[in-house]
Amino acid sequence: MTWLAIAGSALVTYLVRAFAFRVPLPSALPPRVARYLDALPAAIIAALAGPAVLVPNGAPTRGPELAAAIAVIAMVAWRRNLLAGVLAGVASVALLRLVLAA
Amino acid sequence: MLTAVLVVGIPFGIVARQSGLSPAEIVAMSLFVFAGASQFAMVQLFTDGVAWPVVVATVLLINLRHLLMAADLQRYFARVSVARRLAAAYVLTDEAFAMAIGWFRRGRTELAYYATFAVALFVLWNTATVIGMLIGPSIGEPRRFGVDFAITATFIAIVILSVRRRSDAVVALAAALVASALAYLGASVVAVVTAGALAPLLVLFARDEPDR
Repeated sequence: MTWLAIAGSALVTYLVRAFAFRVPLPSALPPRVARYLDALPAAIIAALAGPAVLVPNGAPTRGPELAAAIAVIAMVAWRRNLLAGVLAGVASVALLRLVLAA
Repeated sequence: MLTAVLVVGIPFGIVARQSGLSPAEIVAMSLFVFAGASQFAMVQLFTDGVAWPVVVATVLLINLRHLLMAADLQRYFARVSVARRLAAAYVLTDEAFAMAIGWFRRGRTELAYYATFAVALFVLWNTATVIGMLIGPSIGEPRRFGVDFAITATFIAIVILSVRRRSDAVVALAAALVASALAYLGASVVAVVTAGALAPLLVLFARDEPDR
């Protein structure tokens, strides 16, 4: 199951990459298609992140996840650094859960 | 840019190990898929217990952007043999592409520039994965230390770093909110990913160009 997912993911990823190098496209992609493809990865990843922030484990957040998400956004917007954002998020959520549990 | 690969690769190894994936599975992901955002998404989907075709489809959607690079790359690789192009394709990443295009536009056409940098990224990414994977189990009580939030935080950071126009932010926010509503209503991950795939259609109505 996991191995099928890994093998399939490896295959489709390589096929797209190989296509990019191998198949001569007649001209540049239509602007609308290019614009769609450009916005697609962030949208998919945002769709995966959203529920983990707003409805973690299926129930509306009690606050820590949303506050931590805002901390990540602020840190990344400020420093343009992925690791700084992740550390800010992890530290915020740990601290807030500690406070809420107390 | 090379250190950036380390600071993303190590957390990937950590969260992948903490999610319960075996070392062989984690190493295989970095060796054969070799795509940062996709690999984090895969870990999330494995944690959610999603069927394998959904994982593959999600990874495909995230990586379709490589088609955008085709138009830019082709003119520089026109005289390179097919075998070499197919080898170059294996190590194509956003970072390698950005670096290569920078060189090519300055008139350097040797494939070696691209190959050296792309392979260095590949080696570093896999090294970082193994380092993260080895230190992963030593971080106890993931929930208490917020480590379970690391994937989500990584997703948010990836999205923020990729937002270059107002319409990108609108699309990402719409995708996140619709996906959350669907998840709250008990919809499957398929619905969540579909929401993500449809959200960029909003940009077709956006007028905040010019760009690129």
